[in-house]
Amino acid sequence: MNAIEARGLGKDFGSIRALDQLDLDVREGEFFGLLGPNGAGKTTMVHLLATLLAATRGAARVAGHDVARDGLAVRRAIGLVFQDTTLDRDLTVQENLRFAARLWNLPSRLAVPRIEALVRQFGLFERRDDPVRALSGGMRRAADVARGMLHEPRVLFLDEPTAGLDPRARRSLWDLIGRLRQASGLTVFLTTHYVEEAEPCDRVAVMDHGRLAALGTPADLKRITGVASLEEVFLARTGHPLADTGVR
Amino acid sequence: MRAVYGIVVRELVRFLRQPGRVIASVGRPFVWLIFAGAGYAAVFAGRNEIDYRVYMAPGLLGMVVMFGALLAALSTVTDRDAGVLRMVLVAPIRRSAIALGKTLGATLLGTTQAVAVAVLLLPLVHLRPGFGDVLRAGLALVLSSFAIGALGLVLAASIRSLENFAGVMNFVVFPMLFLSGALYPVRHLGPVLRLVAYANPLAYGVDLLKHALLGAWAGAGYGGELSPSLDVAALAAFAVVGLVAAAPLLAREGGVTRTAFRERR
Repeated sequence: MNAIEARGLGKDFGSIRALDQLDLDVREGEFFGLLGPNGAGKTTMVHLLATLLAATRGAARVAGHDVARDGLAVRRAIGLVFQDTTLDRDLTVQENLRFAARLWNLPSRLAVPRIEALVRQFGLFERRDDPVRALSGGMRRAADVARGMLHEPRVLFLDEPTAGLDPRARRSLWDLIGRLRQASGLTVFLTTHYVEEAEPCDRVAVMDHGRLAALGTPADLKRITGVASLEEVFLARTGHPLADTGVR
Repeated sequence: MRAVYGIVVRELVRFLRQPGRVIASVGRPFVWLIFAGAGYAAVFAGRNEIDYRVYMAPGLLGMVVMFGALLAALSTVTDRDAGVLRMVLVAPIRRSAIALGKTLGATLLGTTQAVAVAVLLLPLVHLRPGFGDVLRAGLALVLSSFAIGALGLVLAASIRSLENFAGVMNFVVFPMLFLSGALYPVRHLGPVLRLVAYANPLAYGVDLLKHALLGAWAGAGYGGELSPSLDVAALAAFAVVGLVAAAPLLAREGGVTRTAFRERR
């Protein structure tokens, strides 16, 4: 079964077409990357799949549930880490996770050991009683991912998860996500405008101006396009470089 | 519902973590009692029917409820700015559960603050309500906090940022206070203002409080002006309308994604 299926999925904001008509399948257990500059429609895509937005046209199923008809079931099956933190900065790491556990209807007997295991695994154990505002950007992001994993989702969406992180924090975040994938067979749907983050993905969709410009394994994309890097794939398929419109 | 409980707990923890807010909310009515109370009491010194400070007491409790519940509901605006609302919206819970949790949080904060103030204020103005009246006053506090919390949530879900907050204070909080009967009876107002007063949930809450606390002065015209059952019905109606209206507004399109989308242009 596919973890994500989108058919003719599209979204307009007023007269602006943020997402055209997208067909996309993501297999269960796959590490899938959506590569494109800021404004390509990546976040809109994630929000449509996570039922935070209603599609203007088309349909999508996530973890077997229709996003338009069964939003609650979709949200139960997914974890979503947003571009910016969603943690309450005035609460401690542990209080935030307890709050999330209640929102996801986890009884304490499940939530307490799971929170303890997550804060240990994510290197937050020593800081679990510190308010989130006192944490570094990397630790905050780790806490965000912990929040997204708390209910053991089948599909994890990571929307530009390393934005604003220094290289070291970035590396440790990717280590963490690698370990999560190995341990649970989790499907990961990543959006990024960094080619180096799309490189380790099983498959990459190259996105520009709300449309898919290319789709395949990084190796296939490079081979078919006859170039050496994903950056050049982007240039060849869209006619303009990735970095020009992106922010670095 | 565990999610509703979680939302309420978070409101409470946040409130207790802001000592300034606690002090301000409990201290505010006493500032009014001292300054407004002294001034009005002097103006009415010739009339011996009721000490103005006694007359003010139910109104001051209503005021605590209003600030407590409204500010709690308005924290939704901060939640949206800080991103916390997105964590709540991506959770597998209904929008109505979010609205209910937020409103119950506001009810808890509004009521507890008013009870804390009542414990200090009532002995100070020599008001000693009996057991039944205490229960009636408690009901009035809970119902008005709930109704004002629910309507505050509609307001919070409709305004885009806290920059509009000053506008809210000027055009919502002060009219609500002055047209509630907290400081003078509603029946002395002109017909237009009286009409506005009856669209004001706080007016019914204060009226119910006066029934409970100023029963001894009802004969002199200082007790409740409407029937208690009308007060209860009106507050319940405000609460239901607020909850129903707030739920879809919370998840309104753009609330979540517009910021992300703005960066596109």
